[in-house]
Amino acid sequence: MARAPPGSISWSLLLSSTTYFIFLVAVFFLYWPVARSRALALAVILFANYFFYAKWDLIYLALIPAASTIDFLIGLGLQRHARAPVRRALVTASITMNIALLLSARYVPLLFGRVAPAWNWALPLGLSFYAFQAMTYTIDIYRGDTKGTRSILAHLAAVSFFPTILAGPITRVSSLIPQFEKRSMLDPVEGGRALFLIGLGLMKKFLVADYLAGNFVNRVFDFPNLYTGAEALIAVYAYALQIYYDFSGYTDIALGSALLLGIKLPANFKRPYAAENIADFWRRWHISLSNWLRDYLYFSLPGKRSKILPYTNLIVTMVLGGLWHGASWNFAVWGALHGFALAFVRLWQTRFGAAKATGAWRYVNIAVTFHFVAFAWIFFRAPDFDTAMLMLARIASLSGPLANITLPLAMVIAVGALAHFAPEKWYDWSLTAYARAPFYAQAVVLALLVLGLQSVVQFGAAPFIYTRF
Amino acid sequence: MKQRLPIPTALALLTFCGILLLPQIVPALKNLRSLDPQRIPEVTQFPLRDGSGEASSDPLASPAVMEEQRTKRLVMAAPKNLIDPAHVLDSFYASLLEGGTTTILHYGDSPTTADLITADARNMLQQEYGNAGTGFVLMARPWAWYNHRGVEMSASNWKIDIAGISELRDGLNGLGGVSFQGAPGAVANWKLKDSTHTDLEVAYLAQPGGGEFTISAEDEPLGTISTSAEERIPAFAHFAIPAGASHFELRVTQGPVRLYGADFRKPGPGIVYSSLGINGANVTLLSHALNGQHWTGQLRHYKPDLVIVNYGTNESGFPKFIDSTWGREMREVVRRLRTALPGVAVLLMSPMDRGEKKETGEIDTLASIPRLVSTEQKVALETGVAFFNTFEAMGGQGTMGRWYQSEPRLVGADYIHPMPAGAKIVGQLLVAALREGFRHYKMEGLKEKIVQLDAEAAETRRRAAMLRPGAGESANNTTFKR
Repeated sequence: MARAPPGSISWSLLLSSTTYFIFLVAVFFLYWPVARSRALALAVILFANYFFYAKWDLIYLALIPAASTIDFLIGLGLQRHARAPVRRALVTASITMNIALLLSARYVPLLFGRVAPAWNWALPLGLSFYAFQAMTYTIDIYRGDTKGTRSILAHLAAVSFFPTILAGPITRVSSLIPQFEKRSMLDPVEGGRALFLIGLGLMKKFLVADYLAGNFVNRVFDFPNLYTGAEALIAVYAYALQIYYDFSGYTDIALGSALLLGIKLPANFKRPYAAENIADFWRRWHISLSNWLRDYLYFSLPGKRSKILPYTNLIVTMVLGGLWHGASWNFAVWGALHGFALAFVRLWQTRFGAAKATGAWRYVNIAVTFHFVAFAWIFFRAPDFDTAMLMLARIASLSGPLANITLPLAMVIAVGALAHFAPEKWYDWSLTAYARAPFYAQAVVLALLVLGLQSVVQFGAAPFIYTRF
Repeated sequence: MKQRLPIPTALALLTFCGILLLPQIVPALKNLRSLDPQRIPEVTQFPLRDGSGEASSDPLASPAVMEEQRTKRLVMAAPKNLIDPAHVLDSFYASLLEGGTTTILHYGDSPTTADLITADARNMLQQEYGNAGTGFVLMARPWAWYNHRGVEMSASNWKIDIAGISELRDGLNGLGGVSFQGAPGAVANWKLKDSTHTDLEVAYLAQPGGGEFTISAEDEPLGTISTSAEERIPAFAHFAIPAGASHFELRVTQGPVRLYGADFRKPGPGIVYSSLGINGANVTLLSHALNGQHWTGQLRHYKPDLVIVNYGTNESGFPKFIDSTWGREMREVVRRLRTALPGVAVLLMSPMDRGEKKETGEIDTLASIPRLVSTEQKVALETGVAFFNTFEAMGGQGTMGRWYQSEPRLVGADYIHPMPAGAKIVGQLLVAALREGFRHYKMEGLKEKIVQLDAEAAETRRRAAMLRPGAGESANNTTFKR
């Protein structure tokens, strides 16, 4: 085995890297010949999961199996015991362990690393997506939403399923296990859909997200004062596109990878910038996280029948959701902005009804919602609070001109925006046409896409934004 | 027999891999190579912790520890990048040794404009040799990017002219290369972090029909200055700062006026380090854009002990200019400085590395940078001024790529502008080089002193021997015995 530094991007399996696709093809050809044997198929998935983790850091080979086994045993306990205090104690133990795992991977080095070097054991891969996914299993059993499994192999394979580990979509373990237990052959159309999603994800990542980041967005957010107010404003719009194409590109590759193994993961995006209000936005953006926050955090907070508490709970939920991205004022402000906006929308709809706007008002709502989201993105993207305020000051200066907006940059922004708002039926038509095409046509299109990306894109793959969280 | 593989998808994947591998065996398609089979084994390579590495290579070290270790290593590993065969820096070192006020003027481009590098260098030098003031600050921010650490600025209603850029091309732009025209209503405010300054000097252009401005400190008027004169000449208004004052306001009461900037000083001893940056500036700013006579007057007024000329990054985007004209322009800058300030130390500071992304995705040095640095070194040797090779001191070829990928990042996403942590390293490298030069200067001084003392001692011994009774006989006897 070669030696490489832990967490080194060159060795890690980023979903857009060549090594990842070699790994994925290998898993495909290992998995399907044994897919009819449940145990062997689960063993291949488990091996792939742990191989994937080990590529980031070998320490995961100890952490993940241990944590997953404890959750499995807690799940067995929950299945066996009906007494409320015992069940509460068990689910509390699971939640505590997973939150401790999440916090220790992220916050312990941050809080104590500077004063005590022994606490400097930051891991290259955040465990928050794993922890969120793992908690769904025990909480669902506790709530009686699922029965749980008695197969440790099925649990271990599902809870650490490799396509979802880096950045979701956060998938309920109870929805994954039945799929692993089903042993049907991959339908050729589903296989085509998987390849289409992978190709689409690569296009989103390289053609739009990385281009905008490398050529404009990162530069402006690094040194806002070097750019005019108009350029700073365009950088904010460009970042809104970048983060969408980066994260939804990642999700497409994750969905495609899982589908190649016959596993369907939940959708995570649904044209978020076409949302008509902020509540609608969260039904379209990072859907699996908003569902998780709603089902496992918001619903767990007290005061459902109070007049005030549901609003404050919304704000608390979103601030915690913001802080999950990182322990900084930026993320707290970003979460608080969304929390207050959600509370406002809820109050409005309680008072005036939730009737949908029609005609021109609908477009006004979309524009206002988009600009609010883009405003909040400034706090999300800026490296610190001061830079966020600097960006706002530059925009408020209303200064021109647009000397740094090149024609290719303007074209990528325009294409990115148009593609986002393109009718969904165009997407469905393309997907169906590709999926139904003969295998050689699928292969040629995918190969041409990869070769095209290689010649067009001047930048190497940057890490996906959401793999940091 | 039951099917074991999803055949169509498997065939699609195999065909896809086959197409990508085709350029490996068909030479005509070599430009389309995307998948290198030799990299396939990378899939099975795992990250293993190496305990033998030095502490700084430990990825688990805290960011603060890593930054400290990296800075220390960079500064220690810095080669002898300060070249001064003509010993022109001796006058600067002599000033440091003397212990009075030592004035440094640092001309540069965008990093200097933002007081990156210069602020760190100023801070370090002032910690070692004392703080004799904030130095020269412009009237207002010509760019949002302009900054002078320790000074908060706000201003309004000024017409700003930048040498070589604005329509007004008379070259009368003061020490900093920027002039500010204002009528009644124009205001400039400076708020200093440090309230121990004792002197304030405002630089302006006295001119026929010139208006008036007033200066106040903490809302108490310090005086009113008329800028009217029979001819256009640079002028300076001096004010004593009341004890404890840190907030100053300049207000035009009668127009028009044309001002340049303010210089805040303390009694010293210590360093005054003025950062004189212009966004997007290149060497022609000093060789042509500034009026020679005017600039000479400004330079002579501020009596610098060291002038640092730090351009090249903006020019590096124009390789033809570098190969044909850049050296000539830099020679002209040196000539102008020598004429204005005979005997004063001049240091040409090369640009930092500048990166660009290659087709492979690698961030490498812009091809013109090493050529430009080499030209600048040649100019320095030929004209007999000192040269600091910032590019090599930082680490040479590919530095920006390494700095961009380091954690925390040391350079921005444009691979040109240093982040504050990167700027600090460059500042430390410059100061470390000057400190080393100063140490050598003192050692040379000591050697000379020792030689002189030895000579004096020998002479004393000789005289003492001559004065001893019978000294001559003894010598003769000795000779006789031989």
